Amino acid sequence: MKSSASHALPCVAGIGLRAPHYREVLQQLPGIGWVEVHSENFFGGGAPLHTLLRVREHYPVSLHGVGMGLASTGPLDPQHLSALARLCDAINPAAVSEHLCWNSSEGTVINDLLPFPYTQAALSYVAARVEQVQEKIGRRLLVENLSSYLSFAHSEMSEGEFLAELSRRTGCGILFDINNLYVNARNLGVDAGAFIRNVPAEAVAEYHLAGYSERAGINEGESCLVDTHNNPVYPEVWRLYEDALRHIGVRPTLIEWDADIPALPVLLAEAAQAQSRMERCCECVG
Amino acid sequence: MNALGDILPGFSRAIVRGDEPPGQINSAYPKHTVSTAIDVYRNNYLGNLHDALAGAYPVVGQLVGNDFFRRLTRAYIGKNPSRSGNLHHYGEQMAAFIAAFLPAQQLAYLPDVAALEWACHCAYFAEDAGTLDTGKLSRLGQEHYPDLVLVLHPACYMVRSPYPIADIWHAHQPGAPDDFHIDLDGGPCNALVIRNDDSVIVGELDDAIALWLSIIQNGTTLGDATAGTLEKHPDFDLQAGLSRLVSQGVFADFLVKGLP
Repeated sequence: MKSSASHALPCVAGIGLRAPHYREVLQQLPGIGWVEVHSENFFGGGAPLHTLLRVREHYPVSLHGVGMGLASTGPLDPQHLSALARLCDAINPAAVSEHLCWNSSEGTVINDLLPFPYTQAALSYVAARVEQVQEKIGRRLLVENLSSYLSFAHSEMSEGEFLAELSRRTGCGILFDINNLYVNARNLGVDAGAFIRNVPAEAVAEYHLAGYSERAGINEGESCLVDTHNNPVYPEVWRLYEDALRHIGVRPTLIEWDADIPALPVLLAEAAQAQSRMERCCECVG
Repeated sequence: MNALGDILPGFSRAIVRGDEPPGQINSAYPKHTVSTAIDVYRNNYLGNLHDALAGAYPVVGQLVGNDFFRRLTRAYIGKNPSRSGNLHHYGEQMAAFIAAFLPAQQLAYLPDVAALEWACHCAYFAEDAGTLDTGKLSRLGQEHYPDLVLVLHPACYMVRSPYPIADIWHAHQPGAPDDFHIDLDGGPCNALVIRNDDSVIVGELDDAIALWLSIIQNGTTLGDATAGTLEKHPDFDLQAGLSRLVSQGVFADFLVKGLP
C-alpha cells in the first residue's frame, strides 16, 4: 500500500494547483509543502478526480470552494453539498474552505464571490449554514475574507468582527487572505491594521497571498483594485503578510494564481518567498 | 424572508440586469463610485460565464470565430441565467439556443456540434462507474436475455445528427491536420461519446445499433429494443453490435426485469 501524505496542513508554503501544471507537478514532484485546488473542478470522476488522487499520494491537499454561497438567500444546494462531501471522503483533505460571500438570489446564480452587510441577523443566518456544511462534510470548515468593491451602510460590524464571531459560534477556522484585506483597505478604506490586531489568532488556520490588478473606473480619474489573481504578490501585500506573521503567527500560506498562469518555477519562487518570510519571522520570535 | 432577503435581490438585479443598485449600498469610496463597483461585478459575472462556455464549446468557438462566439455567448447569457454554483454545469441549453439564434441560421450543423460538445463536456466530468460484468452476464440463464435492462455508463452519450458532426469534431481537436475536407451532405452521423482511460473518445455507430441503443437508453428491455430495431433494420446483428458496445464500456451494469 502506498503511503499517503499526512493529514494536517503543514505550516509551510503551498501553491494553488491549476490544470496547466498538473502534469509537470506529477512528473517532477517539486518540493512544495502542500497544494490547494478549487473543489468544484473535482466534483465527479474521470481525469480530474484521478489526477487529484495521484497528487494526494505526494502532497497534502486543501479543497477550496468557490461556489457554496454561504450567505445566499436560498437553501444550500443539496447537490453541491453532497458533491463536496463525496470529494472530501475521496481525498481526505488537509483543509476545506469556502468564502464569506453569497452567489445566488431568486434562483439566479452569479458565479462570483459577493459581499453582504455584516449584521447580527446575517451572522445567525450564515452561522447556521456553516454548521450545516460542517455537519455534512464531517470536518471543520475554513471561511475566507473577501475582496470587495462596495460596502453596506447598515453593516453593524466589520468583516473581521463578523468572521471572529462566526468562528466563535461555529468552530470554523478563518482563512485569512492578505491580498483581499489589502484590496479592501484600498477600495473601501477598511482598517487593515485593526483587522490583523483583532482577528482571533487561534482561529486563523491558513493565509492566502495573490496579486491584484488595478482597473480604471467608468468615470475619469476613478480606479479600483480587482482581485484578479493574475500577478505576483505586491510589495505592500508582502508587508501586510509580515505584519500578520508577527501579530497572528506563522500559518500554512498559499500562493494563488488563477489567470495568466505563469510557468511553474515562477509560482514556486513566489512560494519560496513566502517560506523565507515565515522562517525569518520564526527566528525573530524564537 | 431571511436576514439578507431585503438586499441581495436588488444587488443581484443591479449586476445581472443593470438595475439601479439598492440604496443600502454605501455611495462614497476613496477612489471609485458605486457604478464602477457594479461594473466590476458585472464584468466578472459575464466573464466567468463566457469562460465557462468557451471551456465547454471549443469547437463551436473555432467554427464561428472569436467575435461571433462572444456575440453568441453574450446573447446566451442574457437568456439563460446560471442555476448552479458549479460553473461546469453552465451551458446545457446551448444546442437549442443556437438552433433559434438567427445569426447562426446558415450553419445548420452547428446546434448538433454543440450537442456533441456538451455530451463530451458531461462525459469528462461524469461520475466514475464500473463496466458491465460479462462473467455475471454469461452466468445468467439465456431465458432471461429478453428481459435484460442495460444500464448505461454515466460517461456514455449518443448524439444523432443529419450532419457529419463526429468528423467536424475530430477535425477541430488540438493537433488535427489543417487540410481536412468534410462533406456536409455525407449522410447522418450517430456519434458515440465514451470515456476510456479518463480520455473522452468520440466514435460512430451504424444506424441499426444506434437505433437499438437509443431504445435501450429509454430503459426498454433487450428483447423489445431488438424487436423494434429489427423492424427497421432486418439485417441488424445484435450479437456483433452488443459485444462491440460492451467492449467499449458503454454499459455499467444490467438488471433483469421482473427479477429482484
